Amino acid sequence: MFVPLVQNETLKIIRRKRFLIVMAILFAILSVITFAQSRQLRWRSNRNWRADIQQRISRMQEAVRRGRMNENWARYMRAETNRLQFYLDHDIEPDQPTAPLFVRAFANVAGFLLLPVLVAILGADIVSAEASEGTDKLLLTRPVRRWKVLASKLVTLWIFATLTLLCGALLAYIISAPFLPRGGWIAPTFTGFQIARGEFHLDGVRQLPLWKDTLIAYGLDWYALLAVAAIALALSVLFRSSVAAIGTMLAALIGGTILTQVSPDWTTGKYLFVSALPLADYYTGRPPPYEEMSMVFCIALLAVWALVALIAAFAIYVRRDVFG
Amino acid sequence: MDPILVARHLTKVIGKRTIVEDVSFQLQPGEVFGFLGPNGAGKTTTIRMLVGLIKPTAGDVTICGFDVRRDFEKALRNVGCIVENPDLYRFMTGRENLEHFARMLSVDASEIERVAELVALAHRLDQRVGTYSLGMRQRLGIAQAMLGSPRLLVLDEPANGLDPAGIREIRELLRRLAHDQQMAVFVSSHLLGEVELMCDRVAIIHKGTLLREGSVADLISSRREMEFRVDDIAHASEIVRAKGLQFRADTDRLWISMEENDAPPLVAALAGEGIAVYHAQRHVETLEEMFLEATGGETVD
Repeated sequence: MFVPLVQNETLKIIRRKRFLIVMAILFAILSVITFAQSRQLRWRSNRNWRADIQQRISRMQEAVRRGRMNENWARYMRAETNRLQFYLDHDIEPDQPTAPLFVRAFANVAGFLLLPVLVAILGADIVSAEASEGTDKLLLTRPVRRWKVLASKLVTLWIFATLTLLCGALLAYIISAPFLPRGGWIAPTFTGFQIARGEFHLDGVRQLPLWKDTLIAYGLDWYALLAVAAIALALSVLFRSSVAAIGTMLAALIGGTILTQVSPDWTTGKYLFVSALPLADYYTGRPPPYEEMSMVFCIALLAVWALVALIAAFAIYVRRDVFG
Repeated sequence: MDPILVARHLTKVIGKRTIVEDVSFQLQPGEVFGFLGPNGAGKTTTIRMLVGLIKPTAGDVTICGFDVRRDFEKALRNVGCIVENPDLYRFMTGRENLEHFARMLSVDASEIERVAELVALAHRLDQRVGTYSLGMRQRLGIAQAMLGSPRLLVLDEPANGLDPAGIREIRELLRRLAHDQQMAVFVSSHLLGEVELMCDRVAIIHKGTLLREGSVADLISSRREMEFRVDDIAHASEIVRAKGLQFRADTDRLWISMEENDAPPLVAALAGEGIAVYHAQRHVETLEEMFLEATGGETVD
């Protein structure tokens, strides 16, 4: 009984051209970034990467020494110099412009804003569109309990969030492969950089082949996207208008991201779900915006947000009166 | 015979406003039941309570013996409905819409052809609903409601957007379904004439409460009157009262409950008493007049 419902929701997402829009956005953004990358590759092809990294490190150290930047940036810079130094010490080039590294970088770049926005586009009107178009009156007078209808929408949304992530990774490779070196999946990478109370810890650092590192990063993105989908669904239940639902979701994502960067002193911000979204970034070694946020904290935070969102969504959807 | 639909003391209060108050009725298999009332009388709210879209503040609804709130799936399996407008998925084709709802009912794909034939929509089934006229969407809505051969059809203003020929087709279809297949059909309308032609029984709702309920013959057809315009109302009233006829009057007109055949002798009698009769014609009471009367508007016995 449940599979036909998911089939119905899938058909609606496809017929509404939501997934097509998402694919088009991914394609456009990835094309632009690839173009920029290939230009950069040509520009620095005859340069010495060690000198390059060394220069970046000293520039950042200089900036930190001069002060006059917000604490957040300073922490990020310190972490980044340490990371680059570590690569330099081990004689491994950290940011080669290869297609596999491009795919890997996409997990970090897109994981905290682009992919959540795309999932919001898919999900924020999955319930509210039925309300604003009046089709909920038919959907909810068929002999199927309301919680099943909503559950089918959630499952469909999770399926499409997963597809969005997979297609993003796939497109990143397909688009960049003609312009960048294609190999390099087994290149060594380091993970597990940690900062605690301003100190940089290297004990946890491990070396992984790039493909493994990439899988972990995308796994973290996937987890964050499932939570975003749950929150988008709750907003979609809450708002009868699709525009209001999508608008609120985008405002939360973008506003939250800005907030964590501009006001690091307001530590309550660490409880916002947006603070925990860049899981892949934190995994790579970028410090979270608030001192006390650990990986476990972020993962738990997202789970709590998703759970609360889902409980609210189901409780409201099952009980509420459907007016015209 | 067990009733298909039983509504008991339905009441809906939102905030301080009572939208529907203590509405009760029953539908038997094989009958077309008209739910008549002006716009804003609480028709749609009542319908939404019947099919479980909104929760009654008090009262309950039973369909084929199942309580709509406690046994939602079992109760609604017996119902096909259109609530308010036939809002279907405009971005999908007619066929995709029917398939969508057929999947929710787990009925066979052959059902789709059957219901499309019934409403004469088979030829447009593969076009997007967005391109349909209101009449076609109304017919697709009825087709959707008939998927899975429910025992109860609940249709909100089914004649909306249909042309006269379309209305006649739907009317005949609904009567056929009720009388041949023993379905119960619940039809809401704000048009007296439509209900009179389509329904066996009528309930009239006004400001959230049921004013009257009964057979169409009792409620509407018996209310056929003749309208007379005369010069001396007082004198004419005396004569009519002496003949034992029911009537109402205003400053220059009389409305008398009587058959057309009895009009010529009455005109002759009035003329014989020296009363000038300017016109005499059949008068079908409008819904508005009926409401006026039922809610205590100006009436003279």
